[in-house]
Amino acid sequence: MATKKVAGTTIKRSQAEQVYTVFNYAFFTVLSIIMLYPFWHVVMMSFSSVEATAKGGVFLWPQGFNLDTYTKVFKDPSIWTGYLTTIMVTIIGTFLGTLFTATTAYPLSKKDLPFGKVINILILFTMLFSGGMIPGYLLIKNMHLIDNRWSLILPGLISAYNVIIMRSFFSTIPESLEESARLDGANDVTIFAKIILPLSKASIATIALFTAVGYWNDYFSSVLYINTKSRWALQAVLRYMLTNTNQAMQAAGVTVAASTNVTAATIKAASVVVATVPILCVYPFVQKYFVKGVMIGGVKG
Amino acid sequence: MANPRAATAETFSERLRRTGREMVKKRWLFLLLVPGILFFVIFKYIPIFGLKIAFQDYNQYDPAKSTWVGFKQFAELFSKNSFLPVLRNTVVISLLKLILGFPIPVILALMMNEMRSMKFKKVSQTLLYLPHFISWVILSGIIMTLLDPDNGMITNFLQMITGERIMVLTDSRYFVPMLIITDIYKGLGWGTIIYFAAISGIDPVLYEAASIDGAGKWKQVLNITLPSIIPTIIIQFILSCGNILNAGFDQIFMLYTSHVYDVADIIDTYVYRMGIINNDYSFSTAAGMFKSVVAFVMILIVNTIAKKTNNEGLF
Repeated sequence: MATKKVAGTTIKRSQAEQVYTVFNYAFFTVLSIIMLYPFWHVVMMSFSSVEATAKGGVFLWPQGFNLDTYTKVFKDPSIWTGYLTTIMVTIIGTFLGTLFTATTAYPLSKKDLPFGKVINILILFTMLFSGGMIPGYLLIKNMHLIDNRWSLILPGLISAYNVIIMRSFFSTIPESLEESARLDGANDVTIFAKIILPLSKASIATIALFTAVGYWNDYFSSVLYINTKSRWALQAVLRYMLTNTNQAMQAAGVTVAASTNVTAATIKAASVVVATVPILCVYPFVQKYFVKGVMIGGVKG
Repeated sequence: MANPRAATAETFSERLRRTGREMVKKRWLFLLLVPGILFFVIFKYIPIFGLKIAFQDYNQYDPAKSTWVGFKQFAELFSKNSFLPVLRNTVVISLLKLILGFPIPVILALMMNEMRSMKFKKVSQTLLYLPHFISWVILSGIIMTLLDPDNGMITNFLQMITGERIMVLTDSRYFVPMLIITDIYKGLGWGTIIYFAAISGIDPVLYEAASIDGAGKWKQVLNITLPSIIPTIIIQFILSCGNILNAGFDQIFMLYTSHVYDVADIIDTYVYRMGIINNDYSFSTAAGMFKSVVAFVMILIVNTIAKKTNNEGLF
């Protein structure tokens, strides 16, 4: 009797459900297109001719395909120096940042560490309260790091949030795994390097990825701390090209006018693409780690 | 009289010795902590103590010669005609972002949960949260392109509808709506993932039991899914409240021009211009400190309320 009733109701509902299912798939298809189209638009525009871009409209494919804009954009040396700086900063910052996040989180995951609680609270506090922009700037100034590229790396090295995520992950590793090594006379540093780190590859990769994204996207440190344009990170170079397109191109010896087959609009589109392509290339391969990051982050600190 | 004092002294020194012994035993753990502690002291706590210049007239050529002025900078902040509009802009923009943007990811996550095709779900998730990882510099480049006054796609589109050529980026009437829409665009996918992760942690037995009891899909969403993600919603809400004076510096800094200062100048952009551009360090630090303190108090209040009413909190 009971099963029949259930079966009956599922059949009755299925029609409304089917309509909803169709709506749902259609909705997310449209939404996905809306999310993706702006990127598509600038890519197509950057390959299009000046006449086509002057008309505006929707760009499904390049109109009047040409690479003129790119040859002009790449003439600007600051694109290259920007790339170099960003790659350097991202690699060094991600390596050191992830390493020190782990070395900070591991001892704090031990419940019986003397002063552990106090240190945890002091680290959590930095998430809730900060000195802000000006004291941060004056610190870098007083450390004589203005115009030095370490100023792009050091202030963002460790985030309290990542330490907390990492700490809650470490605390799920059973103590018994460390016991045998301890009996063999290994010290905590050895245990950390030989046992804990290999067990935490996935969460370390996630933290590393978030750190890398942070460094890659950082423009404001360059704006604040770096005066010499050739030491700017890529995003700061891009910012300058977007907000002062004509000056930026003039400095690179390129005249921006419709007659030279580039306009401010196409230059903007092309420089956006130049800065975005590396991210779009690695994104499909690493995005599953981002989701993993959310799952780990869901563990309350 | 002497006895209890001796007793406490003894226990104290005993405790000291025990802690000392523990620390020696755990010296390798403390060694691991050294870089982290140095980092937090230098790059987090020194700037916090650096807030002292908000109570000084900072002498940038010789900081030691700075004079203490008490709350003078704060008094000036609130008497200045320029700061109150900035405060209002900050609150208006971030409240609009919160009210309009907060429910969307919850709804999207609930909708997404109803889809069966894992592949479709994955692909649309991936596309939805892509903008979260793209910097505001890049996104603002795209926005500038789409809203270009001469040939932007959206500018043309708006002209088709309204018959008017609307310069969104330089028009005070449209700038703030643009900020809110683009902020939702950037954040909706990531928010969805957060709630979706919470939904996928729900025990499927609950749904089975509910459908045996004859509860339809809608009832299941209302009585199982939604209550299960309430803790996540609360935590996200607490975090948003702590950000109430964060109207989105990077986004505005990239897109605003003097045409829209009247609606778009927020505390952070104001601090930047006053401090970094005008070198008025003490005054701008006071403005920044006001923001930090309000954020801190807000997060404590909301966290306490959440703990009292729902037993859910950040800490």
